[in-house]
Amino acid sequence: MVNTKTARCLILACGNTLREDDGIGPFLASWAEQHFAHLDGLRVLSTHQWTPELSAEIASAETVLFIDCSVAIPPGTINIAPVPVAEDLPRLMTHHLDAASLLALAREYYSTTPREAMLFVLGAASLELREGFSDAMKAAIPKAQRALEASVLNLLGEPVQRR
Amino acid sequence: MSQTITIDPVTRLEGHGKISIYLDDQGNVENANFHVTQVRGFEKFSEGRPFYEMPSLMARICGICPVSHLIASAKACEAIMSVRIPHTAAQLRRMLNLAQTVQSHALSFFYLSSPDLLLGMESDPATRHLFGVVGAKPELGRAGVSLRRFGQHIIELLGNKRIHPGWVVPGGVTEPLAAAKRDEILGMIPEAYNNIKLALNWYKQIAEKFEPEIEVFANFASLYMGLINEDESVEFTDGALRLIDAKGGIVADGITANQFSEVIGEAVEPYSYTKFAYYKPLGYPEGSYRVGPLARLNIAQSMGTPLADIELKQFKQLALGPVQSSFHYHYARLIDILYGIEKIEQILNDPQILDTHVRATAGVNRLEGAGQAEAPRGTLHHHYKVDDNGLITWANLVIATGQNNNAMNRGVLQAAQHYIKDGKFTEGILNRVEAVVRTFDPCLSCSTHAAGQMPLAISLISAQGELVDQVIR
Repeated sequence: MVNTKTARCLILACGNTLREDDGIGPFLASWAEQHFAHLDGLRVLSTHQWTPELSAEIASAETVLFIDCSVAIPPGTINIAPVPVAEDLPRLMTHHLDAASLLALAREYYSTTPREAMLFVLGAASLELREGFSDAMKAAIPKAQRALEASVLNLLGEPVQRR
Repeated sequence: MSQTITIDPVTRLEGHGKISIYLDDQGNVENANFHVTQVRGFEKFSEGRPFYEMPSLMARICGICPVSHLIASAKACEAIMSVRIPHTAAQLRRMLNLAQTVQSHALSFFYLSSPDLLLGMESDPATRHLFGVVGAKPELGRAGVSLRRFGQHIIELLGNKRIHPGWVVPGGVTEPLAAAKRDEILGMIPEAYNNIKLALNWYKQIAEKFEPEIEVFANFASLYMGLINEDESVEFTDGALRLIDAKGGIVADGITANQFSEVIGEAVEPYSYTKFAYYKPLGYPEGSYRVGPLARLNIAQSMGTPLADIELKQFKQLALGPVQSSFHYHYARLIDILYGIEKIEQILNDPQILDTHVRATAGVNRLEGAGQAEAPRGTLHHHYKVDDNGLITWANLVIATGQNNNAMNRGVLQAAQHYIKDGKFTEGILNRVEAVVRTFDPCLSCSTHAAGQMPLAISLISAQGELVDQVIR
């Protein structure tokens, strides 16, 4: 999906599909793009790293959902939490930023941030140099898709179907 | 006692590198080396792959300039196929390459170098970065972010991905340009003009403050090389190579991709994984040359677009002949961006740009082929050999950073000898040494075809080989 119009919801995924579970962000972004193709106002971007110029995309979105993985939480678990705007901008990370810093950059450059920003994180078991996912990540994908669907519909203000 | 200064890692570069500065017994600089410390070996592991896979494989060398690798690789494949691609495909590729140049130059100038230019070489390193620019001059930072997004968004529109698009293939491109995408890009042009004009006006106001740096930032005579059209205007995607000397005289002209290896050789030094390209008739290192924005503008007689031509005239007033100081890469980079925006607008108004015939097809008709293009950092050359089945048997890539390698090393030595006296130096001095390398905007991943992170380091080493001091970012 490519356009420069204001998005109702921006999905911003981060990861490398050649580094095993790190590819879950791009995988879920691709799934969401197809799954929500019938909805207006959704923009999906998937990148290897979150870089400063993404602040412009964020500033033009009403809501944003960041998707990433982490080895700091148990493999296969899902954490969904609001992202606060970082109080300070980072020092040297001109090539990659975290979600809170990107929000701060959007505020500094464009004097605006999305009214709601959420971070959707999946626990990664392995970040080795290969395609595909660990068993723990594979098992978590159906649950992650349901959780992602609910999160996106919430951000879009669309009714969430209970399953 | 002599000493060595190590800057390790050198920061605000694309890749991973290190600088060693060797001091004599009096504490003055005797020698300096810029080391590229990573290796990957794309040329080797591509052996055995079908030639038509090469563009996609080679694009993975770099996340900043994958488009240049796509194009140079596709052209090498087309030489193997013996096909000429359709006009529309050539124009679309040219636009893609220029979009990449805009976004890459925006990264180099605004993200990596503008902190030094805006805040000063001696400013607090804690704030000497892009986000320091945000605080000091937000409109400049915003212009950089917007220009990078402009280039990336065009790449995304054309290739469906911001990084590593698979749209460029041997024979042309996989799909034509849709009218809606053309109109969307045209709609982004006015803001891009505003942003580059802001940056150019600002740069010209502050440049004279850096006269001391201009004097010693790789300010020496050398050869220059780049692609050029028959009318002597700048070219990024087609044309042929011209090599000029330090006085502007033409040393070699009309060098096609097939002739490249006859005139350009590659030397090896023990301290770096990046090779050192040179003009064979002059030998190494006398035949070393510079490529990239500075070289392109030194070689060309015109940009071929109205606004960039005005800037080129001003640029050429910096010297009687070729502009020698690598500090002026910054200015040349901004002119490249302006040219890129103008040329993209021209291409979009080409009446054939929506033509659907965008790909030529053929099999293996030759067992060897080469392709060349201008990457943001300079000339990029791909050369392949295949067997009867089209499987790669040999590959060689000559990357812009390798072609600038000797000049970068000489530049580091020049700046270090100027600034470091009696073994005394400050963080600001070491930052200047790093900044010399930054003017070239080297891509170390490209030059070694390596994966890596961006930090770099400086070492100070004594005459006895002892590490006396080290700066690691």
